[in-house]
Amino acid sequence: MRFSARPASWVTTFGDRDWRNGWAFAAPGLLTLAIVMGFPLVYAALISFSSLTLLKPALTPFVGFANFGRVMGDPLFWSAVWLTVKYSVVTVAGEFVIGLGVAMMLNRTFTMKPFYFAVLTIPMAMSPVSVALIWRMLLQPNLGIANHVMETLGLPRIDWLGNADLALWTMAAIDIWQQTSFVVLILAAGLAALPRDPYEAAEVDGASALQQFWYITLPMLRPVAAIAVIIQLINEFRTYDLPYILTKGGPGNATEVLSFFAYRRAFLGLSLNEGAAAAFVLLIIVLALTVLFFWSLERRR
Amino acid sequence: MTLMRSLGLAFAGATLLASLPAHAAGITLRALMEDVPETQIIEKMLPAFEKETGIKVEFEKIGYGDMHDKLVAQLVSPESYYNVLEVDFLWAGEFPAAGWLEDLTPYVAKSNFDLKPFIPSMLELLGQTKDALPLIPMYNYSMGLIYRTDLLEDPKLRAAFKAKTGRELAAPTTLEDYVAIATFIKANGNDLVGAAMQAQRGDPNAMEFSNYLFSAGGAYLDANRKVVLDSPEGLKALKLYAENVQKGAQQGALSATLDDTMRLMCAGKAFSMVTYWWMLPQLDDKEKCPAVAGKLALSVMPGGHGESGGWGWGIPKNTSDESKQAAWTFIQWVQSQKTSVARALEGHAPVRSDVYTDEAVLKKYPFYKTALDVVASGKSFPIFAYSAQYEDVLGAQLSLAAGGQAKPEDALKAAADGLTQLLNK
Repeated sequence: MRFSARPASWVTTFGDRDWRNGWAFAAPGLLTLAIVMGFPLVYAALISFSSLTLLKPALTPFVGFANFGRVMGDPLFWSAVWLTVKYSVVTVAGEFVIGLGVAMMLNRTFTMKPFYFAVLTIPMAMSPVSVALIWRMLLQPNLGIANHVMETLGLPRIDWLGNADLALWTMAAIDIWQQTSFVVLILAAGLAALPRDPYEAAEVDGASALQQFWYITLPMLRPVAAIAVIIQLINEFRTYDLPYILTKGGPGNATEVLSFFAYRRAFLGLSLNEGAAAAFVLLIIVLALTVLFFWSLERRR
Repeated sequence: MTLMRSLGLAFAGATLLASLPAHAAGITLRALMEDVPETQIIEKMLPAFEKETGIKVEFEKIGYGDMHDKLVAQLVSPESYYNVLEVDFLWAGEFPAAGWLEDLTPYVAKSNFDLKPFIPSMLELLGQTKDALPLIPMYNYSMGLIYRTDLLEDPKLRAAFKAKTGRELAAPTTLEDYVAIATFIKANGNDLVGAAMQAQRGDPNAMEFSNYLFSAGGAYLDANRKVVLDSPEGLKALKLYAENVQKGAQQGALSATLDDTMRLMCAGKAFSMVTYWWMLPQLDDKEKCPAVAGKLALSVMPGGHGESGGWGWGIPKNTSDESKQAAWTFIQWVQSQKTSVARALEGHAPVRSDVYTDEAVLKKYPFYKTALDVVASGKSFPIFAYSAQYEDVLGAQLSLAAGGQAKPEDALKAAADGLTQLLNK
């Protein structure tokens, strides 16, 4: 009688044992997510609206959007946003193009495949900090091996990280070197799962290899590729380790990406509230991109 | 018999433990330390301290760039993992302002620890006021000029320099002299650069530039703590700094840190470096740096004043009382005259004047006489709650000017405005 005012389906669902069991099984996972992700996120949101700094560690008084206003009123913030967008687009595009090429080659390789995959996972298994330190040594302009090789080949020495026009792209190249393996593994798995029938039909119809790639492989690979691209896009937008180790945001502000900007505000400026506000702007951008990407994918399906 | 022997051993052990200070038993002190020679010198002596007091000390050594954040994370937590702190003078405004450090005045009073031998400027640098003593000086890192004497005596270079300038090639006495010699050597020195520079944005270039500023007669603040950075002297310093990065320094100077300059100098590929005076024994070492050993000299920064800096020992508030007592025991020991002299004989940069005049120290390192001049003539970077942030603000502007992305006038004004804003924050 008590449930009579509610829709019948709700009553049925609530009373359904499968429904209750489902929630019971999901509850531990949901609870863990709420603790490890929900709580920090809510707390960070609170900090971003508060007056909390490392010198005055108190949440109150809350200051509304003042921290967001201060962060977004800083010209360096917009410079950091623009650098982050450029960096992310270039690295993800590079990783995807190279990754797809390598994955297709691996797809046609039948010998020593495990060996190739093992080699490919090496950069991925390394921490970005180690990668940055290794590359910092290799690219050291005066004593590093990269310029030594350049000189041996009769080429001029290059100031890889000290030149403001080059530093961001050097960082992007290092990132591509490390992250491409991940894209390769995902795309290789996707390619291996594609059905053979469309290719056989295309061959009967006389389609060239390029036509098969363009009209069969790419469309069928789209869902897997989309996942690879979106994961990498999120990764690249959050890039912090490389600028921290390689350049500290310099020369000038040439490599100060958004996450490094947020770090500077929080830990050098001691303003955790402004750092949290900057981090939330980053989160909103990444969320918007993710939603837009999946929406576009769904529309094309 | 076995029982009697066991009882005897247990009694002897208990007697030994009872003879130690009550706080000593079972305490392990943990410190986050910068990975520099000074840390290694102390680390070698830790077994002696443990034997003497029963207190174990563990050093976690990392690069300077990572220290501040790692310490702050512990200091804002309910209980700090590090229970004795190595604190840079640049944080000597921030840490006490945030209420993270114990005031050491009661500890000094209770143990009759003598502060008189400590160089007064070092105590001031590390935040001593009439009312509080947040840190005990550990070592100083005043900066001076290390240069190659063999290159100044090279006949070809001397002749070329005289032909170009009409002057004799000699150790520089002014900032203009220094930059002129550095740019000359880079242009004429056959794969040599005039200056190994640490112009990476942040602490490296902020510290390095400060030497140029003080040598040019400039300052960050006047006696009333009003910002006076944007001055003719400041502009002269910045223009000369940018000129040296562009024409006198190594390729990649804008991304170089202390380690890079050290390697370059050690490899014999640079004429000079503006650096911490205690780098001299590290470079003047036949085994580590055969290319330059025996060919180096130290001087006060040309112009008369370099950047003065130092590290201090502190005790975090968020640790147990037992740990605090053990930390204080360690600080007294490591900064005592006996330990300081022993450290100096291994290359320590003293903060006590009685160590600089110690006969054994001067016999082993005659250049400590010059080192005392470097320390005495040093001036300080502005110390306040946001010093670390100001290094970054200043560093970004220096990097822009030195990289040719901003006019020195604009960069200097932005750096001065940034300092005013942070002082008013």
